[in-house]
Amino acid sequence: MLGLGADRLWADMNRLLALLFHQGVLDEQFVQLQQLQDESSPNFVCEVVTIYFHESEKLLKNLRGLLMEREFSDYKKMGIHLNQFMGSSSSIGAKRVRNVCVAFRAASEQNNRAGCLRALELLEHEYCYLKNKLHELFHIEQQRLLAAGVRYPMQN
Amino acid sequence: MRVAQSSVTTCVAGSYSSCKASGASASDPEVMGYEQFPAGLRVLVVDDDVTCLRIIEQMLHRCRYDVTTCSEATVALNLLRERKGCFDVVLSDVHMPDMDGYKLLERVGLEMDLPVIMMSADGRTSAVMKGIKHGACDYLIKPIREEELKNIWQHVLRKKWNENKELEHSGSLEENDRHKRGNDDAEYASSANEGAEGILKAQKKRSNAKDEDDGELENDDLSTSKKPRVVWSVELHQQFVSAVNQLGLDKAVPKRILELMNVPGLTRENVASHLQKFRLYLKRLSGVAQQQSGVSNTICGPVDPNVKLGSLGQFDIQALAASGQIPPQTLAALHAELLGRPTGNLMSGMDQPALLQALLQGSKHIPIEHGVAYGQPLVKCQSDISKHFQQSKVSSVVEDISSGFGAWPSNNLSTVGPSNNLVGLSAQNTNMLMDIWQQQQQRQQQQESQPQSMLSEPGCLINVQPSCLVVPSQSSASLQAGDSPASVSQNGHFNRSSVIDYSLVSSRSNGSSLNIAQFPNGGLNTTAGVPGGYLTPGSISSPSSSCSVNANNNMGQQGQSSTITFSAGRQLPGFAPNRHDIQGSYTGKTVEMVDQGPFRNLGFVGKGTCFPSRFAVDEFESPMSNLGHGKLYVDNNRVKLEPNVDLMENTKVGIPILHRFSSNDVTSVFTE
Repeated sequence: MLGLGADRLWADMNRLLALLFHQGVLDEQFVQLQQLQDESSPNFVCEVVTIYFHESEKLLKNLRGLLMEREFSDYKKMGIHLNQFMGSSSSIGAKRVRNVCVAFRAASEQNNRAGCLRALELLEHEYCYLKNKLHELFHIEQQRLLAAGVRYPMQN
Repeated sequence: MRVAQSSVTTCVAGSYSSCKASGASASDPEVMGYEQFPAGLRVLVVDDDVTCLRIIEQMLHRCRYDVTTCSEATVALNLLRERKGCFDVVLSDVHMPDMDGYKLLERVGLEMDLPVIMMSADGRTSAVMKGIKHGACDYLIKPIREEELKNIWQHVLRKKWNENKELEHSGSLEENDRHKRGNDDAEYASSANEGAEGILKAQKKRSNAKDEDDGELENDDLSTSKKPRVVWSVELHQQFVSAVNQLGLDKAVPKRILELMNVPGLTRENVASHLQKFRLYLKRLSGVAQQQSGVSNTICGPVDPNVKLGSLGQFDIQALAASGQIPPQTLAALHAELLGRPTGNLMSGMDQPALLQALLQGSKHIPIEHGVAYGQPLVKCQSDISKHFQQSKVSSVVEDISSGFGAWPSNNLSTVGPSNNLVGLSAQNTNMLMDIWQQQQQRQQQQESQPQSMLSEPGCLINVQPSCLVVPSQSSASLQAGDSPASVSQNGHFNRSSVIDYSLVSSRSNGSSLNIAQFPNGGLNTTAGVPGGYLTPGSISSPSSSCSVNANNNMGQQGQSSTITFSAGRQLPGFAPNRHDIQGSYTGKTVEMVDQGPFRNLGFVGKGTCFPSRFAVDEFESPMSNLGHGKLYVDNNRVKLEPNVDLMENTKVGIPILHRFSSNDVTSVFTE
């Protein structure tokens, strides 16, 4: 029965991943990330994504802070932040976040403040969606490992 | 600050192979062997984005590289300074809050001369261009894939080989020259030697490779460890740069720089070695400038030999010139440098004749020289281009025809002078070097098309145009070997490929006139490197094309044994995948062949004979990554081997023939 649970959780996880891929939230870079996980770092994906969330939240805060300034002019700094956000998002395979970053950067290059604000909101939205979904994914993964772990000694 | 070192590296100032032998990652070099070469490569990753840093670290681990990560550029720089020789390659992000990635790149390039790979999410051409301009050997766009990282060892190897070749030029001529150089160079050079040798030995699967390496290593360590190191801090470098600017790049010799800098404890050798690196750095910059403007580099020519010159004596210059390793136009630059050189004593009567003699012997080069001299005015008087062009061409050609060998010295005296100035002129402000050149190149490019359309027949206009930089070498080669069947096969080769007009041009024998016509542009370039760069727009990245220049130049010197010439030329196609490149490198080789003519006649045969085996292995090393190409080149090799041999035999006859041909053709073309 526990084994069944693990299988079901495995299927759930795959379904969720398929959905995220279908929606374009994630891309193949995420698969690469999963492939990098091995015995030497069994929790690699989770570790990286946690770092990513931490960094991204800092970046989002900075971006919002920059845009909320009364006399906003530091588009260059914003560009650097966005570049970093783009780099890390694309590195974990967060495709939609990355795409919004691209739009955001384009707006900032045109010194289009309204566009930047819109992009920021979209970015926050995308980011939250990604974060929720990835948390969900990790949650299922954890449950699955637990379930599999329980079954494991019984077989051998 | 986050400095995480994933595996302990013992710091041995030295090469990859030495560190590998003593490093923790390699348990036992005997067991490991060198077969697993890229494993254990010491990589420093610098990125303020911790997410990427972690991912890249993991990826590099998977490649079994030895990773050190660092999230701050300043920390990374300190780390590099403290542990010189402990890293093989640096991966750096472009945007970092504490220090621009470009700045770091520049510092690393100047201070430790390591290959630096830039990475950024910003993949726009301008950003990439900037990275390459600052001397990055590669630019990876995020997200970075494991496959890309797996391949970074090639930059380490390429760099070491290039250094190696440069070293061999000077080293073979003056054995102890190496020790006279600055300590930095001695160390890096020796490490380069070992690194490459180790790898080469691995290819041969020699069992005693380790012992030999160890032996060499100890020797080198002994010779280098005594000297104190100078850390070129930003301030010190600034002083250095201002001193160089004050003197002008051409006139800047270590002694005078040292005087101007007035820093206690700094020796002439320190300055000399730094100057050398600085010139290399400028060369890299100029390499990019040129690619940007779409024409291959002109600065490469003058600067490259200068760099070598830094430590060469007068004998070397004669020899290099004689072997055709230095394109004659760069002789002018050399000349300029030598005149200002206090140590070389080259101002003495002995040398000038020697230089002239060298020029003389390479008679085919002399038109090039003229080309430089007369090509420059072209840039200045834009309004009356075609007329002026033709005139100058005529005059240079006329000189070419009318003056025999006996008359040459006087001609040379006059032409060396102006071209000297011209080179100096264009390089007078080294800071603006790039921009000036870019502009000139662009202008020249525009102008180049106009006169050519006038000179060449309308029918072949379009076809000749793109190949114009290649034509000279090809035509002269075929002229020289006019009676050898091999030259026919050369033409055949070109016929099959897209540039049909080569055979037309050379069969109509007006190649030599074209030769001159085109050299105002091409003549400024290092002839060998030009074709490849020119024929493959955008497909070669800057580092590899600059490398190709080196490779081809080197070959000119090593050209006694025909097989070697080719094998080294082959390295080029190894990097550059498409069909055009093959032609490019091929014509590059014909340039070399031509160069061998005077070389032979001069009888400077004693030089360079020690290279063959090494370069023979070189050849098989580079295509190994893609075997499909490799085969193709081997085929070519067989085909091309014949013409080369024939050429060598014909060289004695070759020069008179060339002269006869050129005079006829030129006149005929001009009467047209």
